[in-house]
Amino acid sequence: MLLLDYQNVLIESLLKDRFSGATPTSIDQVVSDFDGVTFHISTPETKTKLLISISVRCFNELVQYGAQQVLEREYGPYIVSPEQGYDFSVAVDLENLPAEEDARNDLIRRISLLKRNAMAAPFEQAFDEFAKLQEEASKYTSESAPQGVREGGVVRAIHYREEEAIYVKANYDRVTVIFSTIFREETDRIFGKVFLQEFVDARRRAIQNAPQVLFRNDPPLELEGVPGLAQSGSGEIGYITFVLFPRHISMQRREEVISHIQTFRDYFHYHIKASKAYIHSRMRRRTADFLQVLRRARPENEEKERKTATGRTFRVQG
Amino acid sequence: MAPQTPAVVMDNGTGYSKLGFAGNDSPSFVFPTAIATKGPAAGSGGSGSGRPAVANKPSFLTGGAGPSGHLSAKRGTEDLDFFIGDEALSAAAGPGYGIHYPIRHGQIENWDHMERFWSNSIFKYLRVEPEDHYFLLTEPPLNPPENRENTAEIMFESFNCSGLYIAVQAVLALAASWTSTKVTDRSLTGTVIDSGEGVTHVIPVAEGYVIGSSIKSIPIAGRDITYFVQQLLRDRGEPDSSLKTAERIKEKECYVCPDIVKEFARFDADREQFRKFHVADPVAGRKGVTVDVGYERFLAPEIFFNPEIYSSDFLTPLPNIVDTVIQSSPIDVRRGLYKNIVLSGGSTLYKSFGRRLQRDIRHLVEERIRASEARSGGAKSGGLEVQVVEHKRQRHGPWFGGSLLGQTPEFRSYCHTKAEYEEVGPSIVRRFALLGGPGST
Repeated sequence: MLLLDYQNVLIESLLKDRFSGATPTSIDQVVSDFDGVTFHISTPETKTKLLISISVRCFNELVQYGAQQVLEREYGPYIVSPEQGYDFSVAVDLENLPAEEDARNDLIRRISLLKRNAMAAPFEQAFDEFAKLQEEASKYTSESAPQGVREGGVVRAIHYREEEAIYVKANYDRVTVIFSTIFREETDRIFGKVFLQEFVDARRRAIQNAPQVLFRNDPPLELEGVPGLAQSGSGEIGYITFVLFPRHISMQRREEVISHIQTFRDYFHYHIKASKAYIHSRMRRRTADFLQVLRRARPENEEKERKTATGRTFRVQG
Repeated sequence: MAPQTPAVVMDNGTGYSKLGFAGNDSPSFVFPTAIATKGPAAGSGGSGSGRPAVANKPSFLTGGAGPSGHLSAKRGTEDLDFFIGDEALSAAAGPGYGIHYPIRHGQIENWDHMERFWSNSIFKYLRVEPEDHYFLLTEPPLNPPENRENTAEIMFESFNCSGLYIAVQAVLALAASWTSTKVTDRSLTGTVIDSGEGVTHVIPVAEGYVIGSSIKSIPIAGRDITYFVQQLLRDRGEPDSSLKTAERIKEKECYVCPDIVKEFARFDADREQFRKFHVADPVAGRKGVTVDVGYERFLAPEIFFNPEIYSSDFLTPLPNIVDTVIQSSPIDVRRGLYKNIVLSGGSTLYKSFGRRLQRDIRHLVEERIRASEARSGGAKSGGLEVQVVEHKRQRHGPWFGGSLLGQTPEFRSYCHTKAEYEEVGPSIVRRFALLGGPGST
């Protein structure tokens, strides 16, 4: 498993189960997803009416960046008013499903991507803005560009975790996505650094088309003037910058890129942990090897205790 | 971090792993505790121990090239090339992958595999960040403390999970029985009969502590019942006697009868009792076959009560084992143990299983009381209450118990946190405050 899935496996399997014509059963589960997202899957009225609600930490910010429109586009007729304590709800009536197999599978896919779609809004908005700025900028040479065009758009901040945030900023020639990360653990920080170095090097080595990745401990210039930036004193906080060039955000690539970049943090942390597991397994093996050596090792001529016929013991001298 | 992320409850058993979030009434995922990795299956060299095969020479002598198939000889991302659960079973069916079962007899045998199994369970299936959640894991009774420490090392050092509680499965099964209407006081005293796929345990628990010296296990469990059904099908020459069919028949048609002789007579009098079982053909389009189901409907679970019909070397019926277990426990808790006999695990789900068990144990107890009354010459016994508790959550008893306790507000205060772990070291998990014990709820 190199990459993490974008969809929620539980929702996917639940819906698949229920859509396939199995007898409907009641359910009431609260499940988590990455980044403190909580889902509530329930059948409040009848067993055939499935209500799926999501609560996202930064939903207010997402709405500000147009999440409502994105969700309406994706879920249109299934949207219901949000359940108490949650931010967004969709309801599916099992007796009223699309008839075709494909449409059903598409619905399953879309609902299991609820979190992804909710978080996608700021990215989509930024990409749109990029397109606009690009068009605008094509009218000018780089020197004569007016103030607004050269600087690019506003920085969209998504505080998706308590101490971490994603910043998205569109320029006329690129979109910059900046993750602020925090590492409590000394070891994690080192693993993270090595891991990120690979990202930086990847471009140098084989994959020239990869987006540029930068890693630094102090806020990059793009974020100048953004309120609430944590100053990194102890190196706990890092800023990872992805520079997406026009070829990454073409219309057909867009979906993929948004999905990828959203799971970046989880992917990053997953791999740090997987590397640790790998190192542990090597350590265990090495220990087993050493134990084997120890077990084989015997003193060459073991000193024996000798006994006389009367039962007295003595030692052989020197 | 959200104010209260639900605790993650993971019950890793020999056969199946149950994963989910505290507060839910059923686990989110139930899949085989299996991991498929690149290369041949273990068992050729490692045999029963399940430990990684050790090279003849230490790797630094052979230049790092140990036995092939081991991770350390590889560079790249081979360590991420694996599947767990149902995906593992299907991957192992094809070429290239070998299947491993990291847990044997309830205890973790292969830590390399287990660590990767956990990492995949957490990231792929549950999709949580271990930093944000508390974890409740289970362990079998009599788990060596070293295993606990290893578990804690993995949980805290690899995954940085914010808090950990390791509970004994039997105790959680007792907690799960609180949902039954028969249980009035939420005590943690009782006898747990835990019968899964591989083995059946009878575990006495007093005030939340397992009485280790009295635990008995019985080599008869779900798998044996399946074999028994299969044997009967074969003897009759049914058109389909595969293990899978036998298993389905066991799950669908079997029940426990009060008296075998009468039940035979009833079957002979009433042909309706014989069932037909339709086996769908795996190849779509072809018609399946129909298998007759006869006496095995009540004979199969009967092997708990009359093991001689199945096995020739284990002959003690389950009720007698339960009685012996309780009799070997300290005298002051025996009354509580008789009063609260809790069933847990898939092989206790047969209809009337509890009723039959209760009756049989009661017979044994009453007989003993009568005998001692006769010996004492006139003294009257106050009687002894025997009660077997059946409840709705039996199948995933330990998991449900964990879910129940994990959602209580004080759960977190019972956990060891990462900070505490770093202060004390792995030995901290040797002791846990008793969750759900007296005074907590």
